[in-house]
Amino acid sequence: MADRRTRSMAGSDLSRTTAARATAIAEQLHHECSILLELYRKKENFSADVTVADGRLVSVPPPSSQLDTRDKLWRLHSALLQCRSLLERAIAKEEEDLGGGKKGDYETQRKMVKERLSLLLINTGELLKAVDGTAVLTPNLEGLELDGPTHLFELKLWVYRIFKEVDYWTKTAITTLQSLPSVNARERARTTRVRSTRSAR
Amino acid sequence: MIQWLLLVTLFCKSTQDGNGQENGVFHCGPPNLTLNKSVQTILLAWEDDPSCSAVHDVLIYELVVLIADKQVHYDEVAVTHEQIGSPHSWNWTSHLALECASHTVRLSSRYENRTSPWKQEQTLPGKENLSRPEVYPRDRVLKVGSTVTFCCVLPAGEIFDKMYLPGYNSTIMNTTKINNRTYALTVRLNQPSRDSCTDVKCKASIQHVKTTENGACAFIGYLPGDKDLQCETSDLESVECHWTVERSPHLLSKKTEYQLLGSPCEDGSRGRCLKKVQEDAGERNWTLTVKNKLGKVELSDRADLTKRVHMLAPEGVKASTVNARNVTLEWSWKVQRYTNLNLTCQVNVSHGGTNTMSENIGLGLSFAVLTDLIPNWTYNVTVRCGTTQNFWKWSDWSIGFNFNTKGDVPDALDVWMQVKDNQIIIIWKMPLANQSHGHILDYEVTWAKTKATVANSKHHLALSLDTTEDYIVAVTARNINGSSSPSTITTPPFNPNKTGVNNLQINRKNGSFSLSWSASPAASCGYIVDWCPTSGHCSLEWLKVPPHEHNANIFSKNLKDGLRYSLSLYACTQGAPVLLERGEGYVSEERIKDGLFVPLKWKQQDSDVEVSWNPVSLTEQTAFIQGYILYCTDKDNDNKIVCNVSTDNPEAITLRASHLKIGSYEFTVKARTAVGECGTTSLTATLNSQTDNLIKAVIISLVTVFSLLSLITVVCLKHWACIKEMVYPPIPKPLLTDKWLTSPGEHSCHPLRVDQCQHSEVANMDIPELHCKSGGPVNDYVSPENIPFVFAQTPKGYYNQPLQKCTPPPLILATPTVPSQSGLPSSPIRGLFPNPSYNLMMQAGDQWSNPGPELQEGTCLERNSSGYQPQSRTENFTLNQTEQDPECYILLPQ
Repeated sequence: MADRRTRSMAGSDLSRTTAARATAIAEQLHHECSILLELYRKKENFSADVTVADGRLVSVPPPSSQLDTRDKLWRLHSALLQCRSLLERAIAKEEEDLGGGKKGDYETQRKMVKERLSLLLINTGELLKAVDGTAVLTPNLEGLELDGPTHLFELKLWVYRIFKEVDYWTKTAITTLQSLPSVNARERARTTRVRSTRSAR
Repeated sequence: MIQWLLLVTLFCKSTQDGNGQENGVFHCGPPNLTLNKSVQTILLAWEDDPSCSAVHDVLIYELVVLIADKQVHYDEVAVTHEQIGSPHSWNWTSHLALECASHTVRLSSRYENRTSPWKQEQTLPGKENLSRPEVYPRDRVLKVGSTVTFCCVLPAGEIFDKMYLPGYNSTIMNTTKINNRTYALTVRLNQPSRDSCTDVKCKASIQHVKTTENGACAFIGYLPGDKDLQCETSDLESVECHWTVERSPHLLSKKTEYQLLGSPCEDGSRGRCLKKVQEDAGERNWTLTVKNKLGKVELSDRADLTKRVHMLAPEGVKASTVNARNVTLEWSWKVQRYTNLNLTCQVNVSHGGTNTMSENIGLGLSFAVLTDLIPNWTYNVTVRCGTTQNFWKWSDWSIGFNFNTKGDVPDALDVWMQVKDNQIIIIWKMPLANQSHGHILDYEVTWAKTKATVANSKHHLALSLDTTEDYIVAVTARNINGSSSPSTITTPPFNPNKTGVNNLQINRKNGSFSLSWSASPAASCGYIVDWCPTSGHCSLEWLKVPPHEHNANIFSKNLKDGLRYSLSLYACTQGAPVLLERGEGYVSEERIKDGLFVPLKWKQQDSDVEVSWNPVSLTEQTAFIQGYILYCTDKDNDNKIVCNVSTDNPEAITLRASHLKIGSYEFTVKARTAVGECGTTSLTATLNSQTDNLIKAVIISLVTVFSLLSLITVVCLKHWACIKEMVYPPIPKPLLTDKWLTSPGEHSCHPLRVDQCQHSEVANMDIPELHCKSGGPVNDYVSPENIPFVFAQTPKGYYNQPLQKCTPPPLILATPTVPSQSGLPSSPIRGLFPNPSYNLMMQAGDQWSNPGPELQEGTCLERNSSGYQPQSRTENFTLNQTEQDPECYILLPQ
């Protein structure tokens, strides 16, 4: 009994710390995404009028207030994973089709965002593990359009769209992660309920 | 029935006959028209109608192209009789992308000015049902300098705003309207794409509210610009071609293909291609083909590879034999065929920033001998080779190889000497690392059968030699390998007289001395120039000059600006060096610091002022002083310079400003040098009237005389009774006996017989003199044992001599060589009075100046008890005197 309480308390502390760290990473990533978007707009002479196709590239279940913490985290984690896949593909296509080799501010920032996104994914994965208690299931990336358009200008727009997608999901990550204290409370409540049930038995 | 058959037959007949013949109507035409496209080209294909077989001449097909229902092109295709019946094709490239607008082709035929009524028409529709503006053509590779038309196709309901290429000037772009939904932009491409493709953008709006933008991308570049193809061989088995790659936009260069003699080159984008070739001694063309999306170029180089051998660098360079001054190098060849070639190899020997190159020739050369090396020295060598016959290029340098030569005895020392304070100092330069050939253990100096060992840290030896003779001094350095050959120098006999030595001509040049002199027949083995600072510590440096040279440039890190150097030129002879010329100079004269003239003094003489200073020391002279200049500034007259006095005498220590008015002046003295007036020192002085000074002097003199007279009067009044008694005694006639001197009473007056006095005429006065003397110590010259001393003068000076007679103590007579202390003229009244202040004897009179006074009976006695006086001889005589009882001597007038 005592062991269980200790473990649950430790798990709670761990998730709280991980959530805080993940939030901080997401905030940093959001800042870096803003810079990346700005650098890309400048590089490609994109005005605010440039037409980017509507709709999300990332495919996840729609948000809902009915989703519990685990589902919210899973949804976020899945979206971020798709973002990373899209970002990696975008970088590869840029290098391949639009001319690479240059190492300027834009390329540096792009690499930084990719690495920060990976770091955020590690933290959201830990959070999922802490909340769910099981191994994190790898979200299904099937159906994700990774090929990109064939025409060069559309490819540029596609890359831009991916950057905006990363930016969007980073903002979502901040919101989701900041709502985690209630999660912790809920987790504590669940732990208490389990404990009470067992005591009653 | 028969009638109907006849009618049909007639109709057919009339139809056949009417093929272009009847009524000017021609019925041959293209029944099967096919329209296709490729990128921006329209491809049209058709076949002749069977009725065309009747045509016996050239059949013309007329083609009309319409873009958006406007005719943009007309063309004709001529078909001969032989061609009729076979398929025909025609293509045409539109200036617009085919997606921009519908392209319609109309085809008709004409024969002998009769046009077929058949007209075939096919249309390629443009893009429709768009959701946003689209720009065409897309992803094209275009040549810089070409003129291209892009179009923007709008969705229904959108309003065109503009088309543009970022970075392009709008003045070279022209936008036209094709139809309501299509606009075209024609632009001359004058700049290549840089890191990525170049965008062509179209901006539109939906009911002037929402703006949309889309675009296309195009790579703009050049034809392959590669050039300067050159082919050679390094192994005589393969050809290696190099060329200069002209950079294109990234994707363009990535997609550039290279082929050498028809086979692809993998390293083509790096400008090199290597192919195995069959041994072929002949000359041939080596052709490189470079192709990209915009076109291709061919580069060609005609060469015989046997005359284009670019050898590989020698390998494994090493030293097979290492000695103190020579080394044998060896290396090997990667290509065995080199051993059959006559080779020229260069060996680059470097050490301490110095490089020397040697060249060796031989068949399959694989060794070289290096000579004239420095013992105990580190070298680095590299080797490169080329073919001697039909030399083409040097190989790359081999990898460097380091080796150390063996040690040897030191080189002979550079020896010189310095004559200083009757001593001869033998000095030598410390051997440099490339002269010592090993660690110097010590030095040996040998002269006149004498040998001295000097530690390796010292580089001089002072010899005390007989300065009247010549000596041959030899100096050797010793290291672990032995002693150097001796360096000798002959010391000259000491000759302080250095007159008759010429002035050495010294010029300054970029921080060094430049000397030149006349040839001297005495200089059989050259010249020696030595130098050191004129003042201060002399650390002698020297330079040896060959006999045929009569000038020298002296560079030394020790030479300092603003420091005067003495330079001497010697002739090197078989014997001792001979001093030829001397001189002084500065490497660079510097301004002398202000405040040079210390102390600066002034003296007024009437209306003149003399300003003086101490002689300027050499250490303060940072430039040659050519003279001095004195400026007088009138402080009362707005600092106006009122005088300017100068002298060209560098030894001068005074300058006089004349005819100055009474007032306040600032006197400024400056030294004149080659770098200007410097060493500025000033003083401020106020000139007074000379009349004022005279009045002051008179008043002071009068006050002094009055005070003196008053003092004499007071003293005389105090002793009036005694004076009266002695001057007018009751004794009728004084009688002097021999015992008078031996029995004087205390506090008594002792009359003397003045007729025996041998005074001068001036001294013999009617007024008697009174000598009062206390009985205390005569003077300070008394030994602690109360043994009085007599100062006696000996031929070699003065010494203190204790007296043998203790009682009574002797009196000391001053020698007459001491002049009168007062310096005042002789007073007619001479007397000896007790000094009220010091209790010493005061005496006035010219008797001090009388030489050689001797004490005799009746001789006047005069004493000076106030200090030491040199004496010519000692005189003893007896006087009864005590501390308590002062004695009075009265010198009576004769």
